[in-house]
Amino acid sequence: MSVDIQDLHQQWVGAECGSSSYDVNTDRLLAFANACGETDPRFIDPEDAEFQSTPGFTTIIVSGQGSEALPKDFPQFKGRSIDGGKSVEIHHPIRPGDTLTGKQTIADIYEKTGRSGKMVFVVHRTEFTNQDDQPVTTVDWRWITNLVED
Amino acid sequence: MTILDLHSHSIKSDDGRAKVENYCQWIQKKELPLDGIVLTEHRQFDATSDYRDLEDRFGIAIMKASEVETDYGHVLVFGVNEDLVNEFDFARIDNSLATVLAAAQRCGAVAAPCHPGRVNVGLFAHYATKGPVPGVKLVEVYNGGSRPGEDEFSETEAAKYNYLGFGGSDSHIVSRIGYCATRFDDDITDITDLVAALKSERFEAVSFRS
Amino acid sequence: MRYSDVELGDELPTENPDVSMARIIQFVELTGWKFPRFTDHEFARAEGLPGAIVPGIMSQGLLAAMIHRWAPGCRIKKLDTVFRTPMVVDSQPVCSAAVTDCDDDTNTVELDITVVTEEGATSVLGTALVQFG
Repeated sequence: MSVDIQDLHQQWVGAECGSSSYDVNTDRLLAFANACGETDPRFIDPEDAEFQSTPGFTTIIVSGQGSEALPKDFPQFKGRSIDGGKSVEIHHPIRPGDTLTGKQTIADIYEKTGRSGKMVFVVHRTEFTNQDDQPVTTVDWRWITNLVED
Repeated sequence: MTILDLHSHSIKSDDGRAKVENYCQWIQKKELPLDGIVLTEHRQFDATSDYRDLEDRFGIAIMKASEVETDYGHVLVFGVNEDLVNEFDFARIDNSLATVLAAAQRCGAVAAPCHPGRVNVGLFAHYATKGPVPGVKLVEVYNGGSRPGEDEFSETEAAKYNYLGFGGSDSHIVSRIGYCATRFDDDITDITDLVAALKSERFEAVSFRS
Repeated sequence: MRYSDVELGDELPTENPDVSMARIIQFVELTGWKFPRFTDHEFARAEGLPGAIVPGIMSQGLLAAMIHRWAPGCRIKKLDTVFRTPMVVDSQPVCSAAVTDCDDDTNTVELDITVVTEEGATSVLGTALVQFG
């Protein structure tokens, strides 16, 4: 049985998904930068005065959670889910030794049809702050599924 | 004569990333051969945005329309009015194509399937399994987001069903505006002119893809 | 590259990023994602994909790296990418970008960013906001 999208939207948009904590270290920053083909010393040279994370670094924290990023009791999905896109807004540099906290919410739910047929989009938002409570990034993750309740 | 991009999206569409002013700047800077654009936002009609100031500043006609979703694929609707928005739910993804076509005709608008040549989800893919739908008169044969072969398939099938063909970029980012467009014999300055021109059938699809 | 060097309509030098299997394995080892759709062509095809696919956020990272090479020292303030079509591992995609707006008050430019597959399909499209100075 398919899920009613308006019910889903009404019930879940604004819901909090909990928070996560993440310790930033040089090795992880370097590994991500190198894997993405970065050549700017700010991102690949730990001796650089401005050494920091690349802009998309916090998206891997979000993506790594998979469906665990969703609230408990969120309808289960069947079939394959795919990543529909990410936006990241950078407020403050992230440096080695930072401890990040990510506050997660469901920002939007909608359905549309496209080349893959009918799709349900769940927009999951994570607002990251550092150990000084400074906002560092906001990540929106558009997670696509053909949502069918068990 | 007027050349219009009949299919584009702004930030009002969920997957649109283009601000309308930036479209205008780009058209001007790149000296694109466009007299205007039509914003066809997904699953809605944007009744509130007012682009007259941009039209005056840039000398580009900016019209508003919609891209709705049906059981035969996506459909562009030109000439949306208050009567038409009450005829069916623009936000639904399962509208009946027949319903959309009939409602458009009743309300003085024009509804035309877009990217009909898309594999599995375009109008002609649905025709292959469900048969044609009466009332279709024109389809988008040139779409700026088409993959190789899709526009050619659209043209062939459109000819088979005697549908007229138009063009649009389907741009979701600024730099894709004007990839495809439609050349009209008539002068068109607003949506009323456009609807009349589409009904007059004096136009052809053009591609400016490099 | 300084803000005063940038003009509306400028197109960044295109890039052909390394999306070889070796590079993807490097990426997934970092993230800990043990999804064979990224590293096994046969498995991915069995899932209905055209082959093993490049993770979307890696494509976003490739675009950021391209922007940093175009304007060393610039600060990317926002990256917004829509993932449309899978990009196949070991293929030859093309990364492109163009300047679509310039803000003299904040020395910020907006870019369209895209990745197009070797078959000519748009895999990723979006925008970036980049600050100079």
